[in-house]
Amino acid sequence: MKYFLFLVFIFLSISMYAQEDTVTFTGNILDESHQPIFGAVVIFDNYDQIATSDEDGVFVIEDIPVGTYSIKISYIGYKTVSKTIEINENSTAQNTSFKFIMSESVEGLDEVHIAGKSHKRNVEERGFAVNLIETKEASFRNIQTNELLNTSVGVKIRQNGGLGSEVTYSLNGLSGSSIRIFIDGIPISSYGSSFSLNSIPTSMIKNIEVYKGVVPGYLSDDALGGAINIVLHKKATNSLNASVSYGSFNTTQSNFNGNYRFKNSGFTIKGSAFYNYSDNDYKVSGRSVVVTGIGGVQTPITARRFNDAYRSTGGIFQVGYTNVKWADQFLVGFTASDDYKEVQHGAFMTITPYKDRFLESDALLANVIYQKKDLLTKGLNLNFNALYGARNRSINDTVAWAYSWNGERAIDFRGDEYQYTWGSQQEGGPTLAKIKRNVASVRTGLSFTINHHHKILFNHIYNRIDREDSDALKSVLENTFQGTRDLYKNIYAMTYEMSAFQERFKASIFGKHYRQKTTSTDPEIVEDSNGSDVVVDEVVSSKNNFEGYGFATSYAITPDFTLLTSAEKAIRLPNETEVFGNDGDNVVANSSIRPEISDNYNLGFRFGEFKINKHAFTISTNMFIRNIKDRIGLPIETSLNVDDELIVYVNQGNAKSKGIDAQLNYTYKNNFRFNFNISRFDLTTTTASGTEFEIPNTPFLTMNSGLSYSLKNVIQKESHLNLFYSIYFTDDFSYLTSQGANTVGDDFFKVPEQFVQDLGLSYVFPNKKLVVSLDVKNIFNRPVYDNLSVQKSGRAFYFKLNYSINNF
Amino acid sequence: MISTFLKFKQYVATVIIVGSLGSCSSDDYNDTLNPGLDPGSRWITVAGARMGENPGDGNGGTLIYSVTKEQAKDPSVSIAPFDNGFIVPSNRTARLQSSEDGNTIFNISYAGDTGGNYTKYTVNGGQGFMSTGSEISIAPYVGTAPRWIKLFDGDQTGAAVYVSTENEFDANGDYVRTDATIGVVTLDLQNSIINSFEEHSVALTAQEEAAGYYISRIDMPVLNAAGDKLYIGARLSKVNPATAEGDSDYPILGSKTIVLDYPSLLNPTVISSTIGHGNTNGYRSINAFLYNGSVYQANQSDPEGSHILKIDANNEYDSTYDFNLDEALGVNDAYILAWRPAGNGKAVIAYRHAGSVEGAAGAQGFFAIADLNTRTAQKIDAIPYHPDFYLFQYQGFVVDGTDIYVTQAPVGQNGNIYIIDTETGNVTKGAELINVEGSHFIGTF
Repeated sequence: MKYFLFLVFIFLSISMYAQEDTVTFTGNILDESHQPIFGAVVIFDNYDQIATSDEDGVFVIEDIPVGTYSIKISYIGYKTVSKTIEINENSTAQNTSFKFIMSESVEGLDEVHIAGKSHKRNVEERGFAVNLIETKEASFRNIQTNELLNTSVGVKIRQNGGLGSEVTYSLNGLSGSSIRIFIDGIPISSYGSSFSLNSIPTSMIKNIEVYKGVVPGYLSDDALGGAINIVLHKKATNSLNASVSYGSFNTTQSNFNGNYRFKNSGFTIKGSAFYNYSDNDYKVSGRSVVVTGIGGVQTPITARRFNDAYRSTGGIFQVGYTNVKWADQFLVGFTASDDYKEVQHGAFMTITPYKDRFLESDALLANVIYQKKDLLTKGLNLNFNALYGARNRSINDTVAWAYSWNGERAIDFRGDEYQYTWGSQQEGGPTLAKIKRNVASVRTGLSFTINHHHKILFNHIYNRIDREDSDALKSVLENTFQGTRDLYKNIYAMTYEMSAFQERFKASIFGKHYRQKTTSTDPEIVEDSNGSDVVVDEVVSSKNNFEGYGFATSYAITPDFTLLTSAEKAIRLPNETEVFGNDGDNVVANSSIRPEISDNYNLGFRFGEFKINKHAFTISTNMFIRNIKDRIGLPIETSLNVDDELIVYVNQGNAKSKGIDAQLNYTYKNNFRFNFNISRFDLTTTTASGTEFEIPNTPFLTMNSGLSYSLKNVIQKESHLNLFYSIYFTDDFSYLTSQGANTVGDDFFKVPEQFVQDLGLSYVFPNKKLVVSLDVKNIFNRPVYDNLSVQKSGRAFYFKLNYSINNF
Repeated sequence: MISTFLKFKQYVATVIIVGSLGSCSSDDYNDTLNPGLDPGSRWITVAGARMGENPGDGNGGTLIYSVTKEQAKDPSVSIAPFDNGFIVPSNRTARLQSSEDGNTIFNISYAGDTGGNYTKYTVNGGQGFMSTGSEISIAPYVGTAPRWIKLFDGDQTGAAVYVSTENEFDANGDYVRTDATIGVVTLDLQNSIINSFEEHSVALTAQEEAAGYYISRIDMPVLNAAGDKLYIGARLSKVNPATAEGDSDYPILGSKTIVLDYPSLLNPTVISSTIGHGNTNGYRSINAFLYNGSVYQANQSDPEGSHILKIDANNEYDSTYDFNLDEALGVNDAYILAWRPAGNGKAVIAYRHAGSVEGAAGAQGFFAIADLNTRTAQKIDAIPYHPDFYLFQYQGFVVDGTDIYVTQAPVGQNGNIYIIDTETGNVTKGAELINVEGSHFIGTF
């Protein structure tokens, strides 16, 4: 095959900061067609510093004293570029550019021994049990953020239906409120459900960090079982990107991202917007999908879901300055989002599907970001992120008419259309409940690098949620006496990071101090001094202070074999309902409730990248234990409390999750990739007498695998065609406690084994601006259940167009 | 390249196949205890509730296993439903009913995707329960967690009830009353079809309503002797009229029952006892029975201790019939957890009282034998009462002539079937019940 010559233009911009004699050196790596090269390794001054280019081709090297340096840039498929650069005090003029020409060659491919490490590898070798999910490839395809997360090792997403429906995240067996989710380090509870992993497109996301069990100090929240942090793009280069996707079930997903930075002033405008819509009218069948006739006789049918549509719109708009003398980033802006989700059924699919029950939420939040490296003194970095605003959520369920799975009014045993006794679709009565929340979140991170080997980090997060409930269907009196619940959290984290033995040993030790205040305001009637009744607010506060701590270490036995271990005493603070109860559910306050505590341990290794000729492997694994005490729950019903009007949450249980995650990545040349991961765990609870029981309703064995293959010059010269094939496997599990050896009837409770295969292709046009992709999901139309027996969609087709322009 | 691709595909497929094989389990267990039924015998189905997460919670499944009467009476026979039984398809503890002859088990699934589904099973002995009849659901009428019971009309009819409440306010926004709308559905157990369904708003007296009282839960329908009225047990709750919030520590009203025409399910009225105070909706076991022309109904959470109340043929409470369990047993705070009379007016009562020890899963339970005619009761001392013996979820008593079969086993420990001859008061220890940790037995059917 003929060699191709590529031109790589590297625009190096050198800017001088306030310090006297060090500079921050920023470069931009582009190929011949002015497309950024992602993941190129920049070796600065004979390994003194190593950087990789991001998806905009940008790399940054900090704190270089004035002088002459060698720079070496390598990337698979391109010939390594070596250059000597002189940096003197006069080279402060910004955007000094250098131009390099290099050619690809077969020898070039063999020559590339990557001594630098990718950002992904760097994160994964810090000692934490972490997955760094890169979204670059997925962003061109018809892949939602939740789907991407679900294929990551140790992560299980359980979604109650199609796009937009309620999601529970599980990390190594721990789920629900044990897992905290962040957007750029801000708890997602501040954003609400309209700006969530259901609605944010992958193209707005730079990467996703999944910390299992042990969470670093900069993600400060009471995360008992781990944290998922969505890192949004921080690009400051000029770019424009738009995409639209359309597919089965009338699903449309479109988004737009734009950035513009004025070179001279540094003034930056950034905007992102998304719109998602789906009818989610996929076909379902099963034991509860029936139509009921006269006398109550049932006929099974295959039905289309008819009350499951989802719509979300939202965006972020920011203006400010980037890469200027006084700030790396200073941006102010707002985030707005709105969603609408119809609800087809409750936790289970029953014979009484819902019609016209829906949820709406919206949020309008103002935000400020300030980031500065080497603030005041060299090595002192500040990161500040604040958010303030309001979010609302409402539930609408006012239709009393019963509907059947065929989407039409149901008939009763007499053959007449009928209304439910409870006057609504979900048992419990009609509702127009509104929950209004005022949220504030302030996150501050300060780090001080003492030298190459020692770093101290301080992080603080303040989070406040004021909650107010009302229901338009309730009387003024009932709404008047509806209590309000406020939650304030202050979490401080101190981290010390070190490295030794030529960077072979890395450690970080952290302590976290949690301060939570919950306040309940319940209006009540009291007699005033004149003897007349007045309504006063009874305000009660409860404070909880706790400490947690942990560490993560890694030791590179050889450059390609790293041992990783981490541990944390993690806690989850009782939430406002657990502390103060909930009037509607007759749950009363328990001010002595303690947090849930979990001792989390990880031990793993990372092997690779190991190469034999053109084959490259990486193998990594992690073994984990999570030991949870003082789980919070409601007590069991007994004859002593069955008629009690009031119950309290108590600390009553324990749980243990132990298991293993493993993954394998394989590449051949640069165009064939294979990955496989497996996650297996046991989630048990121990009785007072010491017997372990498996906790039911847990998908304990999952496997995912993907293949991708890229071809050049298909149809048109200089085009790329990428082919994808993925399989997802979830073993069967029961939502009933495991039974005796010879019992019968277990099948009723089983969620069957699931095995799904997807196919996809994306075609990059020669101009590199247009990418077209086609995905076929669940190609063999197999039944899929994320949650209990709630069925997900069968075979589906999606088509997507992406258009992007960079560096205009 | 292609071969590499195929190799990996095969590899992945192999891994997945091996993984899935490992998870399969074959339950080719055959009944070893299926002797068939001799004339004069009958099936005794033993039910157990497995622990979910906490001892005695019964949330880990309801299991049933059948033996003959002779086996049930034989202390050398061991019955292990938790190891060998049939798991009743119900997401939470099933509320089981059986035909009078013991040959059929009726179940309505409680909660989950099939909540409200009615199924009946032919009892074949051991773990053999064959589903018969077509699927039908009462969920559209009474929800997916229905409170249902079989009526005593020769196994013809089941009845289930539902109540929904709503606070009502006047034009000034002041609290007026809390409306309770009840739904009652009857179903033909033999032919698996819905017979009838009616809804009514049920009022208390104006004075009671003004004070904020309302019917918050109903359960345990029972037919009167004439078969023309259906009585439904009720629990009362109260709101504070000033705030419309739930109230606590309020005076308990006289026990109440809703009376409806049967089979039309029309014309609801509420009758009130002057003898008993407390709820009449029971828990999971039938709470009211017809004997000698009257309905005898237990009440719970009575401040004076549980009573057995009598509703006469005129469909009113008998204000002269005062059968208080505290007095009869000489205890305080007696609470009837479950009970069952035989045709002779002698009944077995499962109860707890102030002297019960707090065991693994709640208050220790006891059995007593009572006489509805003489209004007397004695604790049955021939049955052992371990502190962990707990009867709150107890459901089933087999009545075979004057004999009543009960299960006895502390939570997580083995026990026995006991057969009480209500005529003589003799107690016979029957088959051994093999338990598993945290689990308990909930009766015989």
